[in-house]
Amino acid sequence: MFPILLLVFIGVLAVWLVSTYNFFVSSKARIKAAVQEIGNQLKRQADLIPNLESSAKGYLKHEKGIYKDLTDARSAVASALKSGDVQKMADAGSKLASLIPSLQILVESNPELKASEVVAKLMDELRDTSDKVMFARRLVIDLTADFNVKRVSFPSNLVASIFSFAEQPGLITPTEGEHVTVGEGDLKTPKVKLD
Amino acid sequence: MQNIYEVQSANKRKSAFILIVFLLFTTVVIYVLAQAFAFYFGYEPGGVGFIGLAFVVSGLMSFGSYWYSDKIVLAISSARPADRKSEFDFYTVSENLAIGTGIPKPKLYVIEDSAPNAFATGRDPEHAVICATTGLLQKLNRTELEGVLAHELSHIKNYDIRLMSVVSVLVGTIALMADWFLRISWRGGRGKDRDRGQLGVLFLILGLVFAILSPIIAQLIQLAISRRREFTADAGSVAITRQAQGLITALEKISSDHEALEAANKATAHLYIINPFKEKGRGAIDWFSGLFNTHPPIEERLHALHKMA
Repeated sequence: MFPILLLVFIGVLAVWLVSTYNFFVSSKARIKAAVQEIGNQLKRQADLIPNLESSAKGYLKHEKGIYKDLTDARSAVASALKSGDVQKMADAGSKLASLIPSLQILVESNPELKASEVVAKLMDELRDTSDKVMFARRLVIDLTADFNVKRVSFPSNLVASIFSFAEQPGLITPTEGEHVTVGEGDLKTPKVKLD
Repeated sequence: MQNIYEVQSANKRKSAFILIVFLLFTTVVIYVLAQAFAFYFGYEPGGVGFIGLAFVVSGLMSFGSYWYSDKIVLAISSARPADRKSEFDFYTVSENLAIGTGIPKPKLYVIEDSAPNAFATGRDPEHAVICATTGLLQKLNRTELEGVLAHELSHIKNYDIRLMSVVSVLVGTIALMADWFLRISWRGGRGKDRDRGQLGVLFLILGLVFAILSPIIAQLIQLAISRRREFTADAGSVAITRQAQGLITALEKISSDHEALEAANKATAHLYIINPFKEKGRGAIDWFSGLFNTHPPIEERLHALHKMA
């Protein structure tokens, strides 16, 4: 009886060991693919925006300022894509995404623009493309979190330390800076001026 | 305020608990009925043969609905494929959520019906289908739609269709064995020798009791599993979208709409985000009828979501 039990125990242990090891290596590969997906979505964004621009050109011709910003952001994405650095890509992507609110304000404050179907379509597509980049980033965050949680929690941390799997960096975010501290300005009640 | 990761692991634990109860129950019922069959016919392999036969018949009956789940349901509900241009939000939100969860974009279909509802089906993420009514697409904004579609996507990601198919094969096996046992014992039996021994008599009586009660109990456990998976999918939706408010307002909007969905029937009811037959009731009757529901009461789901928000 005893040898059989021992054999079953060893069998279960082996299955667990293999599947845990496979979890680590496969999620590493998935994280790599998810990072590429961010690049892919940024490329889509960079390709899409010139088309949208040209289709909405007639409506936006009075707004030279935002036009220039859009063009600048787009070339930043293009050069980041060429460099292949994910962090640069993400930075350029968020630069582009930060323009969307001001575009929205521009459209909202201009009834003629707002009524136009072309511009409404432009806004929809812009929101969608920034959503896509955001979700691509989120997948990297989630997959990295899964990997890192398994890496430190018992008993899978034993496998991680045997094969010395390193912590995955995921989306690199500065741990210090304005976004994690509360400044003077943040403590004030926000004032909204409507006129 | 509840941490979404805590909620998810709590849901996983509860789900696993119900499934273990279900498997234990199934094992006991099948064992007892098999023994009863064996004593009834007076030879051992009779029982095993009947389990095998019931399992195969039930498996065959469920296999079609599992393997072709996407095609069958779409044919019953008379849905048409969604178009990126006319259903822009539906199409792009599903695309984005698929990017965010790392599964392929499900096939998207639309049912022409003003009652707002949606469902997901398909045996695995590669064959997944999400179907929404035109009413849902008109009444919800993009954020609310994101909540609903993330709920459906969690069903797909959690392989809920596969799970419920396996469960229904086992429930079917129990129902068939119970039915056969009741039929043969009703006929009075042909065993001439009455000396089956005390154990035999015990198993015959137990078998009779189990044959009467177990199909209904199995079905109740099946429904409890279905309700638990709804809670899990709600939590999954919050994990994907990182906010509960979209799904909360969406559920409020959908449940306050009293139109009945014409395309739904009893066979497809458990797939929808909200039970398409809007039942009302209070107190003890409500609790009792709640046992037979595929979905948890909307108030309970909203309560769980509010805790995560």
